Amino acid sequence: MSTPPRPARARFSTAVGAVSVAALLLTGCSTAEPESNQTSQTPVSGGNLVYATGDAEPTCLDPHVGGNYPQALVSTQYLEPLVSLNDDGKIIPWLATDWEEADDGLSWTITVHDDVQFTDGTPLNAEAVRANIEHLKDPETASSTGFLALEKVTGTEIVDEYTIRLNLREPDSALMESLSQPWLAIQSPTALERSKAENCESPVGTGPFIVDEWVKQNSITLVRNEDYNSPPADAGHKGPAYLESITWRFIPESASRYAALQAGEVDVIDNAQPDTIAAAGKNDSIEHLNAPRPGASNRIELNSSKPPFNDPLVREAFAHSANVDAGISSLFFDTAERSYSPLSSVEELGYEDPKLFTYDPEEANRLLDKAGWDQRDAQGYRVKDGKRLSLEFPVSTNQSIPAEVSLFEQIQATAKEVGIEINLNLLDLSSWYGALAQNNYDLVSAPYTKVGPDVLRILYHSDGIVPAPSGYFANLAQVDNPELDKLLTQASRETDPERRAALYEEAQKLILEGYYILPLYDQQNHFLYRSSVEGLRALPTVSTPTFYDVWLNR
Amino acid sequence: MTIMANFRRRVPGPSAHTRLKVTVPEMLAGVVVLSLLAAVAFPALLAPYNPLAINPPDAFQGPSLEHWFGTDESGRDIYSRVIFGARPSLLIGAAATAIGVGLALALGSLAGLGGRVLDFGVGRLLEVLFALPGLLLALVFIAIAGPGVVTSTVAVGLSTAPGYARIIRGQIIQVRGSGMVEAAVVLGRGRAQVVRRHLLPNALSPVFVIATLGLGQAVVWAASLSFLGLGEPPPAAEWGAMLAAGRTYLTTAWWMTFFPGLFIVFTAAASTVLGRGLQRRTVR
Repeated sequence: MSTPPRPARARFSTAVGAVSVAALLLTGCSTAEPESNQTSQTPVSGGNLVYATGDAEPTCLDPHVGGNYPQALVSTQYLEPLVSLNDDGKIIPWLATDWEEADDGLSWTITVHDDVQFTDGTPLNAEAVRANIEHLKDPETASSTGFLALEKVTGTEIVDEYTIRLNLREPDSALMESLSQPWLAIQSPTALERSKAENCESPVGTGPFIVDEWVKQNSITLVRNEDYNSPPADAGHKGPAYLESITWRFIPESASRYAALQAGEVDVIDNAQPDTIAAAGKNDSIEHLNAPRPGASNRIELNSSKPPFNDPLVREAFAHSANVDAGISSLFFDTAERSYSPLSSVEELGYEDPKLFTYDPEEANRLLDKAGWDQRDAQGYRVKDGKRLSLEFPVSTNQSIPAEVSLFEQIQATAKEVGIEINLNLLDLSSWYGALAQNNYDLVSAPYTKVGPDVLRILYHSDGIVPAPSGYFANLAQVDNPELDKLLTQASRETDPERRAALYEEAQKLILEGYYILPLYDQQNHFLYRSSVEGLRALPTVSTPTFYDVWLNR
Repeated sequence: MTIMANFRRRVPGPSAHTRLKVTVPEMLAGVVVLSLLAAVAFPALLAPYNPLAINPPDAFQGPSLEHWFGTDESGRDIYSRVIFGARPSLLIGAAATAIGVGLALALGSLAGLGGRVLDFGVGRLLEVLFALPGLLLALVFIAIAGPGVVTSTVAVGLSTAPGYARIIRGQIIQVRGSGMVEAAVVLGRGRAQVVRRHLLPNALSPVFVIATLGLGQAVVWAASLSFLGLGEPPPAAEWGAMLAAGRTYLTTAWWMTFFPGLFIVFTAAASTVLGRGLQRRTVR
C-alpha cells in the first residue's frame, strides 16, 4: 500500500506510452492469455521483488562457464541472447534484428541493433558478438552447454560494424535455436577481458537488471538498468523495467521456501514441490506458473557402456520392472504427466511409444532369465557367474526434487521384486559429477535443457561420450550406435522441415526401442508467486522467468 | 528394573535409602529403554507391516487404526518403520559411544600413566580437539572418509572421545595419588597389578555413568548426520533419514516427521534420566 517515490512516477508515464505502443505492435502475433485482468490496471514502477530459488547456487554468474539451469535462471535477468522464440516456437528478434542462412548452409549472417550499450558503456556491435563466440569456444572458459551448441561454428567474419558472419563446418539446422538460449547470451567484451574469477562475480550484459552484489550462500542483489532499450520482440513494454531491484535469495529447503512465500517474505519461488502446488491451489493469494522446460524429458539413463546394462535384455527388463505410474499419481498430485518420449512435451518433434514402457514384472523376470541372470542369492537378488545384479544409482539432490527421490525409492522397491538391486546414493552436485566422471553409475537422472530436438544429438550421439572442456559429458547412457549417429548428424544438417522431422522420429525410435532410457515426465518447472506480482511470464526459450515486465500491485 | 535392584544390593551406605529410591521418571525411562531394546531385538514381533513395502495408493495417510502413525510418501507404514528404525538408530549410537570410550581409554591411560611428556602431548592434542565443536569434527571426518553408516558411526565416536579421555585422565591421576595405590606399592605389588586391580576399576566407574548420559547424545548426533544424508542410504528406515524425508511434507503430512522425532526425543530423554540416576547413586 506504499506510494511509489516521485521519480518512479515520472518514469511511469513514459512506460504507459510504451505499453500502448507495444500493444499495438503486438496485436495479431500474440495470443494474449491471462492479460485480460491486467488491462484494467496500469503498471506501477518501483519496489523490490524478492525471489527465492531452490536451485543450487551457481559457482559462477557467467552462464558461458559450464552452463546449467541455475545460471540460466538468474542470468536471464541481466544478460540477453541474440534471438528469442515466440509462443509458437518461431525465432524472433532480440539483440539481433536480422539473420540469414547462406544458400549452401555453411554460414549465417547476423545483424545486431545499432543503438544498444552494455551496462559498462561498451557498445553492442559485431566485434562484441565475435568476442562472445570466441569466449564460448575458448577451452579456458570451460563452457559445456554453449560450447556444445557452437560445435559446428568454425570461425567468424566481421561484415560491417553491426553485421557478423558465422562460418560452419556443416549446415546446422539448430543454430538459431541454440543462439536463443541464455547460455549463449552476449556479454560486454570489455568485461570478458577481466579475469575469469572477476567475470564470474559480476558479468556485464545488456539486460534490464545489473548484478550489484553477491553475498555467497545468501543472495544476489540486482538493480534496474536505467538505460535499458533492448527488450525481446514479444515483451510487454519498452524502456527500463518496472521493478527497482530484485533480491535473489537462495533457500534450498522447499518447505521453508513455501513458508516464506506464504508469509509474504518472498514474492516468487521456483522449484515448487508437488504437495505445495496442490496446497497453493486452495490459497487465493498465491498463483501458479507451470512452465515445462524444453529439450529432454526427465528420464533415467541406463549406462550401456558396461555390464550389466551392455546387455539390451537387462535394460528392457529394468524398464518393465519399474512401476513409474503409481508413483507419479501419488507423489506428484497430478502436477506431472507421464512421458514416453526422450523429448519434452513442449518439443513439437517429440515422438512417444507408451507400449514399450509398461510395468510388467513377469516380462521382466522372463527377460532376466533369458539373459542368464537365472540364479537367486539368499536375499532374493539375481546372480550370474557369482555376481549379483546390482545397479549403482547416484542421485543429485540438487537436481532431483524430493518427490523424484521418492519415486526412485519406489522404483528401487519394484525392481527388487524381480531380483534387481539398486543402490541409491544421495549426493551433492560435485560428488555426483565425480561419480559420473569415474563411470561409477548404472542408472542416472540428469536434466538437460535445450531449445529444439537437436538436444538428441548432444545426449545420444557417440561424440557426447567425450567430455566437454568443463569435464561433463552429456551422453550419460553412453549410447554408441553408428546408425543413430548417422540419423542425428543428418537431422542436424537437414533444413527441410518435413525431412528433419522424419529423421528425428527415426532417431527417437532407436533410442526408445534400444531401452537406453526410461522416460518419466517433463522437466518440472513450477513457480509459485504472490498474486500482487503482475506480468510474470517464462521465456518461451528455456522457460526461465523474466522480471522485465513485472510490477508489484500492492 | 533388575538393573536397579542389583544396584540397590551392591552399594550399601547409611544415606542409601533416599539416594537409591527409584523415582517415577526413572521408572518411566526404564520402561522406554526396555521397549526400545525389545524393538531392537524383535522388530518383526512389534511391527504389523514390512517397513520397506511400498503401496503408492496409500500414500500420505494420517494416523488411523490401520496405520497408527500414518503412512509416508510411498504408502509405507510409519509405525513399522519407526520400530524397525530402532535397530540402526540405536546401534549407531551405541557403537559410536563404544568407539568414543575405547579411544578415550587409550588416550586417557596414556596421559595418566605414561609420564610427564606423554601427558603433556596428549593434553595439548585434546585441547586442540576441544577447540572444534563435536559435530563439526564429525563432519570433517565424513568429508575426508566419505559418507556411509560406518564412517558416520566412527565420526560420532571420534568426536565424543576427547571429552571422555579428559575425564579418564583426571580419574587415573586422582586414583594414582590415593592411599590404596600407595599402600599397594608399599606392599610391593607389581606395576601391572596395581593398574589392573586398583587404577582401572576405580577410574572407570564414573566413565560408565557418563557414557550412559552420552549415549542419548550419540543417538541424536547419528540421527543428525543421517538427516543430512550422511548415514544409511534409502530406503533404510532410520530415524534421522525419516525426519529428512518428512520435512518436505511438514506442512501437509506432519506425522511423517513427528513420530520419528518423538522416538529420538524419548531415547535421548530416557538415557539422560537413567544416566543421572546412576550418577546420583555412585557419587560419594
